[in-house]
Amino acid sequence: MADGESKWEPLIVAFLCKWCASAGADLAGVSRLEYPPNITSITVPCSGRVDPQLILLAFVNGADGVLIGGCHTPADCHYVAGNFKALKRFALIRKMLKQYGINPERVRLEWISATEAQKFVEVARDFTEKIRKLGPLRRREK
Amino acid sequence: MNEKKIKIAIIPAASCGGCDVSLANLNEKLLELTNFVDIVFWPTVADFKIEDLENLESIDIALFIGSIRLKEHEEKLKLAREKAKILVAYGACACFGGIFSLGNLFDPEELLEHVYLSNELITTDNTEKEIPGQKYEINGLDLSITPLTDHARPLNDFARVDIYAPGCPPREIVLDMLIKVISDYIQTRQIPEIPLVLAKDTPLCNSCPRIKPEKISIDRFRRIGREPIQQDLCFLAQGVICLGPITRDGCGLPCIKANMPCRGCFGPTSDVIDPGGKFASAFAPLFKLDQEKTLSDEELIKIVEEIDDPIGYAYRFTLGISLLKRIMREIKEGRTE
Ligand code: SF4
Ligand code: SF4
Ligand code: SF4
Ligand code: FES
Repeated sequence: MADGESKWEPLIVAFLCKWCASAGADLAGVSRLEYPPNITSITVPCSGRVDPQLILLAFVNGADGVLIGGCHTPADCHYVAGNFKALKRFALIRKMLKQYGINPERVRLEWISATEAQKFVEVARDFTEKIRKLGPLRRREK
Repeated sequence: MNEKKIKIAIIPAASCGGCDVSLANLNEKLLELTNFVDIVFWPTVADFKIEDLENLESIDIALFIGSIRLKEHEEKLKLAREKAKILVAYGACACFGGIFSLGNLFDPEELLEHVYLSNELITTDNTEKEIPGQKYEINGLDLSITPLTDHARPLNDFARVDIYAPGCPPREIVLDMLIKVISDYIQTRQIPEIPLVLAKDTPLCNSCPRIKPEKISIDRFRRIGREPIQQDLCFLAQGVICLGPITRDGCGLPCIKANMPCRGCFGPTSDVIDPGGKFASAFAPLFKLDQEKTLSDEELIKIVEEIDDPIGYAYRFTLGISLLKRIMREIKEGRTE
């Protein structure tokens, strides 16, 4: 393995909604639960505000994976149905990435409530490991 | 009035000929112009060689047609930019990569293999198994064809563009505006200070006469040609993908009037960062909007995934300006920390 490659660490951008997933991540922090430092989180008002254009911009700017965290369906979204928007956009952008030859598994959507600190940590660990296995973002991967 | 005629060059690159035809269709309007204009280069209609362009000290306006797909196109564009006071990206291909940029879904090697070596295309008769880009010599003469570049790209990937004339091909309204710009230039010799786009920066929907329901909930994805489509109701309300919401107004709605949805040949409005991302953002939420709370996540995902060929819909004319292309470029060229 080349020197540069062995030093590679996955970079994951997480868009977390303020009311659930981000609160869950905060709780993980105050509870001193450990999760990988590969995750850079950005708090958004609602998962329904995560325009797929932002997902593409994250990839352009060096992300190897993008995580979207929102409130549980059907009833937990603070803005009634933002999580459904996120879900349907997620389905479409994944299909488009796949068609372009980018592994759709690089985008992940999870419902994480404000109390689910443990779930946040598990998702963060699991996703980081999956992206690590996939390696740096590239085209035509399985 | 200036006694000296202005020089215009019409320069095709990766193009289908449709844009040239749209210019030829100007007929009388073109003739009227010829009192003030010399067409100094237009290889589609007369025997011009690239040297003819090289030998000119300068030209006033270059109408550049098509996207950049060969090394040779890059050189032509460089020449056009050097010589011309005003560079016009004429047509969707020059503006956004156009329909040819859908080829960016594949690597150049895959494209060449499919077209020149596979048996799938009945029009290919290539017993010698030659593909462009390889060295090819006959009697010591180098007849190699210039290689494919990695992507079909719009002009502004390589050069400053002064005027964008969108459309596949540009419609009469755009041509009228272009003629106005040319006439102004003949009078004043002024070059536009900031790039002009010869279309509105509002979505096509704004001038579409179809009935738009307050709330649109798409029950399932439908394709045109497969089932009857109503003439007066918004396409989206019928489950048919129409790019009106993210496309610049200004074509005069020829497709909508012919009961065809908009495919976006005028390109995205300026608020769009990426046509496909915006497409996903705007359209996906409409699916089963009125049944969200009763369907499971899996069911909703399945319904959205029924959209066949989403890249083809979202980026029909614009894959050449997509962020996807930039992602790939960053990867290829290595990211700088
Ligand atoms: S814009 Fe359309 S008509 Fe013009 S060259 Fe491209 S494909 Fe042909
Ligand atoms: S989506 Fe299409 S059919 Fe509907 S209003 Fe817009 S342009 Fe018209
Ligand atoms: S309706 Fe859409 S596809 Fe048709 S000419 Fe206008 S912009 Fe182009
Ligand atoms: S507020 Fe959390 S998904 Fe809408």
